Amino acid sequence: MTELIIKNACVFDPMQNIHGDIMDIAIRDGRVVESVRNSADVIDAEGFLTLPGGIDSHSHVCGTKVNFGRYMSPEDMRAGRTARRGKMHVTSGYYVPTTYGNSYRYSAMGYTTVLEGAMAPLEARHTHEEFTATPHQDMLANTLFDGNWSIMEAVAKKDEQRAAAIVAWTLAAVKGFAIKLTNPGGTEAWGWGEDITGIRDTVPNFNVTPADIITTMMKANELLRLPHSVHIHCNNLGRPGNFRTTLETFDLVPDLNPNRQTLYATHVQFHAYGGTTWRDINSKASEIAQAVNAKPQIVMDMGQIMFGRTMTMTADGPMEFNLHCLHHNKWSNHDVELETGSGIIPVLYSKKSLVNCVMWAIGLELALFTKNPYQCLLATDNPNGAPFVKYPEIIGLLMSKRYRDEEFSTLHEGTEQRTSIAAIDREMDWNEIAIMTRAGQAKALGIALQGKGHLMPGAEADVAIYPIKCREVDPATEYRKVVEGFQKTRYTIKRGRVVARDGDVIVEGANSTFWVNPSVPDEHNMAHDKEFVKKFEEYYTVQMGNYPVQDVYLPRGRCIGTEADL
Amino acid sequence: MKVILETKARKKPFLPIEAESIIPRNFLNGTELTVFEGNKERRLSDIFRIFVEGTSVTPEKIEIVLKGDTSRIKRVGEYMDAGKITIAGDIGMHCGNFMSGGDIEVLGNADAWLGREMRGGNILCRGNAGHYCASGYRGEKTGMRGGRVEVLGNAGDCCAEYLTGGEVHIHGSCGDMAGVEMKGGQFIVEGNATRPCGNMKDGTCMIFGTVHEMLPTFEMIGTRVMTDRKVTMTVYKGDIANRGKGTLMIQK
Repeated sequence: MTELIIKNACVFDPMQNIHGDIMDIAIRDGRVVESVRNSADVIDAEGFLTLPGGIDSHSHVCGTKVNFGRYMSPEDMRAGRTARRGKMHVTSGYYVPTTYGNSYRYSAMGYTTVLEGAMAPLEARHTHEEFTATPHQDMLANTLFDGNWSIMEAVAKKDEQRAAAIVAWTLAAVKGFAIKLTNPGGTEAWGWGEDITGIRDTVPNFNVTPADIITTMMKANELLRLPHSVHIHCNNLGRPGNFRTTLETFDLVPDLNPNRQTLYATHVQFHAYGGTTWRDINSKASEIAQAVNAKPQIVMDMGQIMFGRTMTMTADGPMEFNLHCLHHNKWSNHDVELETGSGIIPVLYSKKSLVNCVMWAIGLELALFTKNPYQCLLATDNPNGAPFVKYPEIIGLLMSKRYRDEEFSTLHEGTEQRTSIAAIDREMDWNEIAIMTRAGQAKALGIALQGKGHLMPGAEADVAIYPIKCREVDPATEYRKVVEGFQKTRYTIKRGRVVARDGDVIVEGANSTFWVNPSVPDEHNMAHDKEFVKKFEEYYTVQMGNYPVQDVYLPRGRCIGTEADL
Repeated sequence: MKVILETKARKKPFLPIEAESIIPRNFLNGTELTVFEGNKERRLSDIFRIFVEGTSVTPEKIEIVLKGDTSRIKRVGEYMDAGKITIAGDIGMHCGNFMSGGDIEVLGNADAWLGREMRGGNILCRGNAGHYCASGYRGEKTGMRGGRVEVLGNAGDCCAEYLTGGEVHIHGSCGDMAGVEMKGGQFIVEGNATRPCGNMKDGTCMIFGTVHEMLPTFEMIGTRVMTDRKVTMTVYKGDIANRGKGTLMIQK
C-alpha cells in the first residue's frame, strides 16, 4: 500500500465545483481517497495551482501516419535533442518528436491522458506498439471508419444495427476507443480520383452521402452505448467558405445522449472559413460558435494554430493533396485498403501570411465566443495547428486580452478586417482553463467514470501542480508567469506516483491503453456474418483471423465494456 | 593570436573525431576544450599538440592552423562566426557547417558537406570538395543562405543543392545533379556538370564547361554576352516542370 498526501494545494476541480480552495489531496494506491494515515508521504504544494491531470482529446502522437512524418522530416530530428539523463531516454524532434519525446514533454506540462486522433484499423498493431513507448500517458485511440466499405454498404441500406455491429467487431478487434470520421466519404471518393465538395454529394460507387454516413454512425454509436460520441473531422477542411459545410453538419446532430454530446467536432478552426478563395478568406467563428451555443449536443475543439514550423498529418488525403499543390513541398499520401487514407506535408505558419493570421484568430475566437467552456476544448490538433508544447501560450492568450493585443499588433495588417478577435474582451479564468484542458475532455470522452478529469474520491490520482500562485498572479497582466507556469509543472503525479518534477521525468512510465469492447448479441457478431467474412477474405490483404490485435500488444490494456442496445 | 593544432599519432587513426568545438571564439578562454573520438570524449590535448602564439581579446584576431592527418576530423568550424581556420592538409566531413562569418582555407581536399547550410563568411578549398558541397542537410529545404564557397578543384555530386543565397564557385567540374533545388544565390561552374539544376526555383547558375544529360524541362530564352570573359552564354529558364523561375546559363 503506497500512500501520498498533497498538502496546501490550491485546487481547481470544475467537476466538483472547487474553485481555488486550499485543500489536501489524499492518495492511496493510485486513487484519490478521503484520508490517509499519518505515515503517508507528503508533497507540499505551497499553495500552487493544482489541477487534475491534463487530457488531450485530439492529438496525433502515435501510429504509422506520425511515423511517416518522422521519416519525411530528418531535418526535424535535429531539433529538440536531449541526451539520456536519469530515467529519461534520448529524445529528438520538435514537431514530430520521438515517442519518448512526446511523452516527456506532455508529462512536463502535466498531461496524463492523450487520445490519438486517428488510427487506421489495419495499422493498429503499430499504433499500440507506439502507445507502449509513450509510457507516461494513458492512451486512447480513435478508430477510423470514414471510408470503411462494409460500413458504407450498411449506411446505403440504412441499416444502423449492421453498422453498429461492424463498429463493435472492429473496435474490439483493433482495441480502439471511439469512432472517428475523417472527411467522411471524401477520402474514399479521392481513392477513385474524385472529390466531395459538400455533405450532400454522393460517394462514387457507393450510393451514400457524407450526411448519411454521419447520421447513421451517430445512431450506431448510441446503439453501442460507447463512452465517447462520434468524433468527426468535417468535410471540406481548409477550404474558404467551408463554414457552411460545418453548419450543415451540425444541423444533422440530434440530442441522443443526456450524459454527453452526440457529436465531437474536432479542430473546428480549420472548418470555420468564410469567403470564396484564399484571397478573401475571413472568419466565420461567430456563426460556428452560435450554432454550438444553441446545441448542447455538440462539443468541439479549437484546432488552434500557432506561428512556426510544423507538420500537418491527417486521414484527409485529398485535403493534403490540395495543400501540396499550394506549397509544392514534400508530400506523402497513403491509402489504407477498404478503410481510409492519409496525407502528410510540412508547413510553416507565418505572421506575414494573412491566411495564417486569420486562422490564428479564428481558433481563439471559437474559444472566446463559445459560452460554455465544456463545449470548446483546448487543442491544436497536434501537430497540425502547432506542436502541443504551445498549449501554455494558448492558455495565456485565452486568459489575457493584453497578450492577445500584443500578439495581434505583430500580425499582418489585414487581419483586423477579416476577424473580430481584436474586439473580444473576454478573459478566461482558472476554472474555465481547467475545464478546457481536463474536465471538459474527460466529460466529452466519457472517461470521467474511469476516474479521469476530476479529483473526487475514487478518481485516478492524476494530478498536476503548476508553479503558479493562482491567488496572487493576475493572468490578465502577468500572462508571462502563466505561460511559464504551464510549461513545467512542479510535480506531475500519475496514478499516485510522481512522474515528473520541474519538467524532468524521474520514473519509468507505466501507462494504460483504454479500449472499448461493446458486447453484442450473437446474431450481430460479425465474426459469424457470412457476407462480412466473405468480403473480408476476398478484399483484404490479411486473413480475418490475423486482423485482430493480440493482447500482447497492450501490456497494460484496460477494457471498457459496454452493453449494446441491439 | 595563432593556435597551431598538430595531430598526434592515434591508436585507431580511422576513428572519426567530432570537433565542433574547434572554432576561433572558443579559444578566447584557453585551450581546455573537448572533442569526441568515436563515442569517447577526449581533451583537445589528447588528440593534438597545441602551440599558441600571442594573445587576443576578440575572435576576429584568432587564427587556427590544423596540421597533420586531419582527414578524419569532422565538423571543424561549425557555427564559426569570426576569425580564421587554415587546414594544411585534407579535412573531414561537415567542415564549416552553419558558419556565419570568418574564413576557412583548406589547402588539401575537403570531404562531403563542406560549408553546408552556411550563413556567411568565406571558404576556400584548394583541392577537391566531396559530395554535397555548400548544400542543405537531409530534409532541410533552405541550404546555404549567404557567404562564399570557392573550390579550386572539382566538387562531388549534389553540389550547391538547395542553394538559397550567397555564391558558390567551382573552378573544376561538378558531379551529378549540381545546383538541384536551387532557390537563390549564384552558382558558377568553370568545368562540366551532369543533369544540373533540377527543380530549380530561383537563382542563377552559370556553367562554362560541358553539360551532360541536360534536363528537358528548361526553356531556352536567348543568349547573353559575358563581356568580362568574352563569351556568349545560352540562357535557360526553369525548372518549368515545377514552376521554377531560375536562370541557367551555359557557354555555347
